[in-house]
Amino acid sequence: MAEPSGGVHVTDVTKNSVGAKSEPNELVQPDIAGGSRGDEIIIPVYWNIARTLGKRLVELAFLLFVISTVLFFALRLTGDPAAVLAGETGDAEQLALIRAQYGLDKPIIIQYLIFLGKVAVLDFGTSLANAQDALGLVLERLPTSFTLVIIAFSANLIVAIPLGAWLGGRPDQRLRKGASTMVFIAQGIPGYITGLILIQIFAVELRWLPSIGNQGPLSWLMPAFTLASFQAPQVIRVISANVAEAMREDYIRTARANGAGFQTLLWRHALKNAMLGATALIGTQVAFLLSGSIITEVIFAWPGLGRLLVTSVQTLDFPVVQAAVFMISIFVYTAITLTDIVFLFIDPRLRRQRA
Amino acid sequence: MTVAHSTGSPRRFKLSRLSTGSLQLNVGLVIFTILLLALIGQALFMPASALDGDLPSRLKGPGYQGHVFGTDQLGRDLLFRVLGGLPWSLGIAGLATLILASIGTVLGLIAAWYTNFIRTIVLLFISTVIAFPFLVLALVAVAIIGRGFWPITLTLGLIAWPVVARVIYAEGRGVLTREYVLAARLFGVSKWSILFVHVLPGIRPTILVMGAFLFAVMLILESALSFLGLGAPLNAPSWGNMLSDSRQYLVNAPWMMLVPAGAIVSAVISLNLIGDGVAEISRKRARAVEA
Repeated sequence: MAEPSGGVHVTDVTKNSVGAKSEPNELVQPDIAGGSRGDEIIIPVYWNIARTLGKRLVELAFLLFVISTVLFFALRLTGDPAAVLAGETGDAEQLALIRAQYGLDKPIIIQYLIFLGKVAVLDFGTSLANAQDALGLVLERLPTSFTLVIIAFSANLIVAIPLGAWLGGRPDQRLRKGASTMVFIAQGIPGYITGLILIQIFAVELRWLPSIGNQGPLSWLMPAFTLASFQAPQVIRVISANVAEAMREDYIRTARANGAGFQTLLWRHALKNAMLGATALIGTQVAFLLSGSIITEVIFAWPGLGRLLVTSVQTLDFPVVQAAVFMISIFVYTAITLTDIVFLFIDPRLRRQRA
Repeated sequence: MTVAHSTGSPRRFKLSRLSTGSLQLNVGLVIFTILLLALIGQALFMPASALDGDLPSRLKGPGYQGHVFGTDQLGRDLLFRVLGGLPWSLGIAGLATLILASIGTVLGLIAAWYTNFIRTIVLLFISTVIAFPFLVLALVAVAIIGRGFWPITLTLGLIAWPVVARVIYAEGRGVLTREYVLAARLFGVSKWSILFVHVLPGIRPTILVMGAFLFAVMLILESALSFLGLGAPLNAPSWGNMLSDSRQYLVNAPWMMLVPAGAIVSAVISLNLIGDGVAEISRKRARAVEA
């Protein structure tokens, strides 16, 4: 058969140290290497961590390479980069000067290699808008974005996990059915609409909250809620479905037979198991927080990385676009790698592998 | 089919026969059908002049002089603008979903079939792109290839296919181990015919469910791009543009925000309902087969 499922694994184990794993992740985010089929060996956690790190590093390098290449050639295909650099005022003399200065008079392959060499040491050049260092501009904005992301993420978890468990505990109760419907509707409301409605209510009508910029804790509320509002319903739904499923499992029945009360069953036993499935989702959400914050930052004029990216796309400021995309990629890959590693610790099944 | 009508007398049409057995799916399909009919209706019957502005009646509330949803800052009728936005939202999102579902299905099945370097490359590509936020990729793509109907459609279609490919790959591998596939192989059926005639029908519910959810995601993304001023051309009646316009008039004309917001939310919710409904039905069927 062309499906030697065992063979792939054996060769796989031998080339683990390289990190280029050929076996795929299945439906679940992190790779569950074995099942319970066949003989199993317990692999040390650090081995798996090294392997995960290696795999993610290869992917990150690949992604960064592809993005830089695409941006490099796109900039040259869509027009004369010297003209872009010179702006509207540039005359022929200036263009020649810029070509010499930026090496644009060299053959395109040489330009590409020089460009890759610079990118490899994170030298993206200077912003076309204000001649500041592109990477510096991006790094300057990072803390502001992170403030928002961290508040939103904590709010998401603090609300979503208990609510999800509560809904999943007795899914057929009328009150909880109503709440589930609300969550379903909330899931269909994009963040930019939530943001505008919040501004309408709390800034325009009630005048309670400032709607623009970063002016201390009060001004964090609406952007953070906006950012969390689009992700929390997903977490709530996954946790409640998983809890509902877990409540029907044998181990819950055993615990009940042993005299555990409903609340203990729900919060200690079912929720614990449900969190396993939800961690994968939460991990991908961390990765998507920065992209969600792009829109949120624009709506609330929040001086973060997302708004910088949008402005530089609008003004075709390619060095800054590239630096921003690099930082976002690194953040995203750090987030998913951490999720993978968290999984290695919380899911004992991942420590086993077929021998 | 002529065979079906062999009994003679035409049976009376009953609405209940259209029902799918899932409340969610029914509601979702009704809303979505209304949106589709509106899309076709506006393409056929709405005169281009319906989108023209009339400055004296600018920023008027719903109901003013026959403007059902009111008017915007240039006195344009919001009902007609929302209808005119249907090609931008449903059109772009629908076409993008078709593109990404096709690419994702084909590459997912290919990765499921081959065990050699082809699989490795496809999977590396999938796991690399899948982790990356769509919106960031879309922004970069827009910076490069520009705005407008087809650029956005292609951008959205080409960035999101790994999501489909990954799931189809996993499911395809499962189906490929089934006995009927083995039997087909023994009969010497070619690999393309096995993949697309024998395996594909088995994963159709998955494709439908993912298609519905991604349709919604694409719709949200298109509006987001337009909202950021990087999607539809600035005067086009896209829902994202309308939302973006409304930001300056939240105090005087909140309906300018509520009308496109309502359109986006109802479209997204109808698609989520359809996706949930199909998933529920196929789960029930799978359970019935097991039992």
